[in-house]
Amino acid sequence: MSANSTAAPAASPLKTMLARINLQQYVVYIGFLAIFLFFAIVLRDSGFLTQRNLVNILLQTAPATIMAIGLVFVLSSGEIDLSFGSTVAVSALCAAMAMAAMPAFAVPVGLAAGIGAGLLIGAINGALVAWLRLPSFLVTLATMGLVAGIARSLTQLRSIPVTDPLFTGIFGSGSLFGIPSLVIWTVVAVAAGHVVYRQTRFGAHVLATGDNARAAQVSGIKVTRVRLTVFMIGGGLAGLAGLLYAGRLQAAKYTLGETDLMTVIAAVIVGGTLLNGGKGSVIGALVGSLLMGMLNNGLILMGLSVSDQMIVRGLIILVAVAVSLREKSR
Amino acid sequence: MHTKTILAALLASALLSTATLAQTVGPGGEVATPSADIALSDADIAELAGKGYKAALLWHTSSDFVNAVSAGAADEFARAGVEVVATTDAGFDAAKQRSDIETALVAQPNVILSLPVDPVTSAEAFRTAVADGVELVFLSNLPAGYVHGTDYAAIVTDDLFQMGKQAADTLAAAIGGEGKVGWIFHDADYYVTNQRDNAFKSVIESDYPNIEIVAEQGITDPARAEELASAMLLQNPDLDGIYVTWAEPADGVLAALRAAGNTDTKIVTLDLSEPVALDMVRGGNVVGLVADEAYELGRAMAAAGLKGLLGQDVPAFIVAPALTVTADTVAEGWQQSLHRDAPASVLSAQ
Repeated sequence: MSANSTAAPAASPLKTMLARINLQQYVVYIGFLAIFLFFAIVLRDSGFLTQRNLVNILLQTAPATIMAIGLVFVLSSGEIDLSFGSTVAVSALCAAMAMAAMPAFAVPVGLAAGIGAGLLIGAINGALVAWLRLPSFLVTLATMGLVAGIARSLTQLRSIPVTDPLFTGIFGSGSLFGIPSLVIWTVVAVAAGHVVYRQTRFGAHVLATGDNARAAQVSGIKVTRVRLTVFMIGGGLAGLAGLLYAGRLQAAKYTLGETDLMTVIAAVIVGGTLLNGGKGSVIGALVGSLLMGMLNNGLILMGLSVSDQMIVRGLIILVAVAVSLREKSR
Repeated sequence: MHTKTILAALLASALLSTATLAQTVGPGGEVATPSADIALSDADIAELAGKGYKAALLWHTSSDFVNAVSAGAADEFARAGVEVVATTDAGFDAAKQRSDIETALVAQPNVILSLPVDPVTSAEAFRTAVADGVELVFLSNLPAGYVHGTDYAAIVTDDLFQMGKQAADTLAAAIGGEGKVGWIFHDADYYVTNQRDNAFKSVIESDYPNIEIVAEQGITDPARAEELASAMLLQNPDLDGIYVTWAEPADGVLAALRAAGNTDTKIVTLDLSEPVALDMVRGGNVVGLVADEAYELGRAMAAAGLKGLLGQDVPAFIVAPALTVTADTVAEGWQQSLHRDAPASVLSAQ
């Protein structure tokens, strides 16, 4: 040990300091700030910094952030869920249909139907992965298609209006003390997710399972139950995202959530969660999700063509993921 | 409340579908105004100049068609000195379109051109733009409950019935007015394709008693067209013709015909596309493409929005003509529809 130390060339103080700081933890925050500053300067005359626009970004990213929290738990346990986008649509449609059937109890039945559908799909995914030990990638690839098919057939592709003012107020269109309900949902979900992930025994069990499932099992962690639970958390949160979409659009449609899959996975990975488990961050996922929303917003306001927006967005995500993964492998 | 909204939406779609059995009319039964009638005069241009007006193009997807509509709109806006400040693609996602609208409104456009992805979900999404006093011009689809004059300036659309009818007439002529045909339709609740598909079917059924539609196949994913067409040909090897809902799945249908060594079954499809047109000019299975005048649609949308901005009366429902393109008219057809030269491969194969 000492021989090695003396043989090694003396590292510069700056290098030593940089090596001590785990840059990977901060990549998403540094990236977020850099991109924010860039847009703030370039788009200073295009309304980027207006309160209306900044609130827009928060509102637009709320459902994706909620989905991202669920994915942090699933990925941290060493599994993956590809079906949450489809779950969003089914949950929104179930909620809308339940409310149309029982308009007098719109909020409770809508909530129960939407979250219930999400939990059920999560439980099915979880059961197949946890008890039958099928690979989660393949299970959720299959249920993604299955659930999307159910969403399409539920209403024969028709959109269902959601008109109950209390429901749309709570889930998407309203505000409390001037704070939009979508922002409140985001804050509550992120805070709850962060506490459960970082401060509870369950959170530690999720990470231990993802880090080394066999070791976790030997040390007494009920790995099967952990796996089932993370999929149910993912499903339930996808259900909540479906309710938020239904409230915000005042309608439910089979396409809701369809395009969110890749955005949410990118947000979570950029936010510091490992694809193969054992490490993650709920706050990082929030910032990753905001970063994705800010990119969409800023590139549109820059007046770029749609193709150019896609190219620039792709390049920025590539750089963010490359930096993030490079740091992780050190 | 729920029932009322659903009924209103159903009523609107019923009006649209029954009315288009005979001709293309507006959601409220409005008579179609030809797009050529919507033109900015020199006085209009002079009045718009120097005002610093801005426009946003909030599309439902990205495609060759959307590019041509955007080009028509951008040229007309440029002529009037109007800057296009935002262009978006919602990827057919209602939630993304809502976000796009909110983001674009930050740039304070005076005119928005858009195709609402869905009448029900779009109604709430465009509400802020209406409240901001933006002139809204919609392409082919109308948010539920919107009123002409107060909520939006105009709807501009293809002559959807004519597109389906001309496809039927072209296929019927190619197979000598008799035989068995297959009908590959878009299996989604999507106004534009539904109207065109249904017009083809109704014209075949009413105008061509010796032609029978023996196979019907819905399609949602163009990538699956080849396998669907293969199955259709397996069950009906003696098909004289196939109608394909638009050009992209027609590529797959062509692949299925080639794989089966079938050079007899005629294909007609809608919209211009290089691979399909190439097959047509080479004397393959494709006998005709029915296109819309996409560039003209964009030009008319921009002109309608700017006329609204000037406080002029704009007709509620504006229609751009349909166009049948055959092997002989492919060069002119490309120009008329997309305002650019046909692909070199197509022209050189003529």
